Order: sequence, then C-alpha cells, then structure tokens
Amino acid sequence: MSFHCIACIKAAALKAPAKGMKKNSDTAQMNPFDRIALALAVNVARSCGGMITALSMGPASCSFVIYEAMAMGADKGILLSDRRFADSDTLATSTALAAAIKRLAPFDLVVFGARTSDSDTGQVGPQTAVALDLPLVSGTFDFEWKNSFFLAHRKMDEFRETYEVTLPAAFTIHPSSITPPDIALENIETAWTKKIAFWSLEDLELRADQVGLEGSPTRVISQKMAARKRHCEFIEGSVEEQAEKFVRKIKEKGII
Amino acid sequence: MNTLLSEKHRAIRKAVRSFCDRELTPIAAAIDQEARFPWEAIEIMGKLGYFGIQAPTELGGAGLDSLSYVVAVEEVSRSSGAIGLTITVHNSVAVHPILSFGTEDQKNRWIPPLARGEKIGAFCLTEPNAGSDASAIEATAIRKNDCYITNANKVFVSNGGVADLCLIFARTDPGAGRKGISVIVAERGTRGYSVGEPEDLSGMRANPVCSIRLYDCRIPLENLLGKEGAGLQIALETLDTGRLGIAAQATGISQAALEASFRYARERQQFGTSIGSHQAVQGMLADMATMVDAARLLVYRAAILRDEGKPFSREAAMAKLYASEISTAVTDRAVQIHGGYGYSKAYAVERYYRDARVTRIYEGTSEIHRMVIAKGILEEYP
Repeated sequence: MSFHCIACIKAAALKAPAKGMKKNSDTAQMNPFDRIALALAVNVARSCGGMITALSMGPASCSFVIYEAMAMGADKGILLSDRRFADSDTLATSTALAAAIKRLAPFDLVVFGARTSDSDTGQVGPQTAVALDLPLVSGTFDFEWKNSFFLAHRKMDEFRETYEVTLPAAFTIHPSSITPPDIALENIETAWTKKIAFWSLEDLELRADQVGLEGSPTRVISQKMAARKRHCEFIEGSVEEQAEKFVRKIKEKGII
Repeated sequence: MNTLLSEKHRAIRKAVRSFCDRELTPIAAAIDQEARFPWEAIEIMGKLGYFGIQAPTELGGAGLDSLSYVVAVEEVSRSSGAIGLTITVHNSVAVHPILSFGTEDQKNRWIPPLARGEKIGAFCLTEPNAGSDASAIEATAIRKNDCYITNANKVFVSNGGVADLCLIFARTDPGAGRKGISVIVAERGTRGYSVGEPEDLSGMRANPVCSIRLYDCRIPLENLLGKEGAGLQIALETLDTGRLGIAAQATGISQAALEASFRYARERQQFGTSIGSHQAVQGMLADMATMVDAARLLVYRAAILRDEGKPFSREAAMAKLYASEISTAVTDRAVQIHGGYGYSKAYAVERYYRDARVTRIYEGTSEIHRMVIAKGILEEYP
C-alpha cells in the first residue's frame, strides 16, 4: 500500500500580534500539535512507502514552516499565499484548505494537529473534513494497515477506540501520539534546496468572497497574551487533615 | 534576531537548540562535575550530523556551510561548553584537514565513520615544550621501509581520551627545521599508542582532555596527511578554521551567561524590587548584551567570508580574539550579577565562568592572535 498523505500545518503565533508585526520565524513557529501530526504521518509513510505533502496557508514569510516540514520528512510543500486569504477565520481557512486538498487528489490521508497553540479552536480539521465530505477520526494516536483495511486508534479521555476506516479519510492527531524526532542537520540543508509551490486564490478556483475577511462569519477583534493569575494558599493541620482539606477544595472547584 | 541569518540558518539554530535544550542542558552540570563524557548524547548527535557538519553528504556528512557550522557550535556550547569543544575540535581540526589535505583513499577511509560520530578525531600539536611556538615540536616520525616510526608526547589533547583518530604533528626530517614537520594520522589501537589520564581541568571538564603518547609506533606510510614537510602549513590552515569554531564556542558560552543573568536580574529581589531595575545591574547587562552581539557579528562575518571563498584568516583571528576575551568578561559579570549564588555550583554561571576562561588560551592564545592580527595589518602599511 502506498499512501499519499496531506499534512496541514500552521505557522502559529508566538506573540500576540502588534501593529505592523510580520509573521515570520521570529514571531511564529510550526504549531506544536501539527508537528506531532506530521511526525506520525512521516512514520506511516515511511513504513508503507507513501509520500507526504505539507500544506499551509499564510504569507510568504511563513514558508519556513513548509521547509521545516520537508526537513522532517515531507516530500513536497505547498503554501496557500494570497493577500485575499488574510484574516480568514477557521471556516474560510477550511474552505481554502479543502480546495487545495481537492487539487492534490488522489490522496488517502489528510492529517491535522488536534488544535493550535495560538487559537486553540480545534475546528479547522473537522471543518475541512466536512467541506471535503471525508470521514473524520479525531484524537487519532496511531495508524495501522492490516492487509486490506486501515485502522485508526483513537484516544479520548479514558477511552481507547479502534476504527476501521475507508480511505480517503481525515484525522486529527492526539498530542500524545508521538514525540517528534530531532531533525538531522543534513535534512535541513536538503529541504532548503527544494522548491515549494505557492498557490493563489485563482489556483484554488475560489471566489474572493469565500475566503479572507469576507468569507469569515467570525472575526477576532482583539488578541493579547493572557496574564496568568496565580493564587497561593497554605493548608494547615496534620498531614491527613491537609490531604483531606486539599481533596475537598479541588472537589469544590470541580477539578476532580 | 540577527539579520545576517537566512531562514535556513535560523532553522538550523532552532533544530540544534531544540535538541540541546532537551538532551544537553539537563545533564551539563552533572557531566561537568563528574568529568564524564556523555556517550548517550554523543551517539544521538552522531546520527543527527553534528560530527560531520561540513563534510559532504556523499561521505556521510551533513554538507552544511560555515555559517551553519558556527550557528550549530554556538548553540551546542550554549548548553555545554565541553560538548561544544568536542564538536568543534572534531569538525574543525580533525575532519576538516582530512577533507582539505587527504587523498581520495584517506577521505573514503576516514571521513564516513568520523562524520557519523562512530569515530572521534583529535588534533595533536601541543607538547610540553611547544605551545604557542608550534615549530618547536620534538615529536619524530622517521620513515623506515613501509612505515613511520613515530615517537611523540602530545599534551592537552582535547577529545584525547575518546579519540580514535589523531592528527600527530611530528618531524619527518629532523634536520629541516620548520620545513621538516609533517602530519601523521595515528589510530587508536596501534601498538605503542597510549592515552594518559584525563587532565583535572578547571573547566570543559566533560571533555576528556588527555595526553597522547606514541612509543616507536609503526604508522603506515599511507597515513601521511598531505606532503612530507607540509605540517606547519596544514596546522596554520587548519587553525584558521579552528579559530572560527572556538570563537563560536566562546559566543555560545557568553550567550548562556547573558540569558541566565537577564533571568536572574528579573527574579532576584533586593531593596524591594528586582535587581534588574537597579541602574548598576542594567549597566552590566547592557554591556554584556552588546559584547555578545559584537562577538557574534565578528564570527558570522568570518564564516560568511569563508563561505564566499574569500580570505578569512584575519577575520577569524579577530573573531576568536574578541569572542574569547569577552566571554571571560561576560561570564565574570554574570557571576557578579548572581552575587554569592553565582560563585556556587548551584547556578550554571559558575560553570560558564570556568568554561569561558580557556577560550583565551587554546587554539592560539589571545597574545598570539594579537601578534598575527597586528603583523598582518602592519604589512599593509609599508
């Protein structure tokens, strides 16, 4: 079995956007959740002899994530880059990604990180699957190819599930699935000698009102780094009393 | 961020930092104290290409340019100066001269295992009576039938305790003075090859710096690197590259000290406020940051010149001189900012301070570098 796997990755912001701030390798990084999805895809492709396409959307200054994906093992990379994609919300992003994935057919697997480190919606993977009319297994932590059928192992809360999946299908990958391996220096050099493709709105055969701000039913009106409030409290009493009080407190807060 | 780095070079920095933060930083203090060479990390580094950074890919290397090399050495040294030393000695003064002066057969034989880190290289020039004056070496390699009968007492050999392959500078023609020195590659295991106990050094303690002694060691003629009598020329050319590595190493140690100082200055409270809000501490921090930046720019300039195939010898000397001098100044101030804690092994700056000191001594002392730089410039003003 030889797969074509498409890994969707995002250049996630490291800092809250300020006026005039450009998204580049200083201010953004490959979304750590997508890194895990890509690493799992690379493993599957290596064991089955498949190939991987890394797909992302963003300005040209974000092409570093595509190169990084190629250094991690992706065979080719495509960046959806067009001013008219700017300010897309998760729906408009899914519309653009789905159009690009259609153009990349035939494909077998489309993988997404479970969520992003800079917006945490977890919507893009499922929405793209819907737009493509693909079956979706969320929280996948491993794949298995058994002679004639494809298995996806899923992890959610206390449950482990195994799905038999008809390909092509989409998957969001559980953060605990795999530890992305270190990148060998030679692979960075090789990745940077490859060419990546830049696709515009026209390449995707979409209308301008389907993407960007116009195609986005939701919009972010402000974004800032959250100040993490910490509260320190001392619990008095013997060890047993302290343990009891502690358990009571976290129960009251709904933590357990 | 530095504008001289392309996205590729930034990716290299990121990849090396990510590896070192996870694998080296957590063990750096322990391997220093135990004076232990961390084979477990070294093996991974070998697989990731750290032992053949600039060696061609067809010989098992990573095939990177000099700028990538200095970026990688700086990052490794930011985590552990001693492992930075291992990497830079191996790449700059073992792999590099074999690539530059070796025959095809020698390259095919030695480079692949070196580039993968399966074998470790060392450079043996210094002797008890020959340090800055390399032409004073006493080691001999006398041709007899199919081998060189080699006798040498080499000291302060970085990587010496773990080296499989040593570049030995020895006199093949004892009557020919400077022109009688050659480079012979000695392999561990050869009869008469022995390794001394590791030196009990102040810093760089995870690197097994040892003496290497050769007693009537029969080394095959095909282990001669370059031509007979070309030893000093090989040494000078190799040291240009070596300086670049040491300059990057010193910069990495300084960077680590700088980051630790900024963190500490924000955390440490005195007089009801963080010490970073005191002007005296700010002055130190600003000077440290400026010095580290200036050193890095000098290192990058020399590396970029080398990548462009232009002369870089003086620039490498300046980078080495400046980066090593400021690394003792920067780590000294880092200790000062940390106060009593900085003088304690509980804080990493104490190690940075010890590690930084030797960068002014090895791979050419600061004094020799000043001589070389000044002589070169004076010759331009006849």
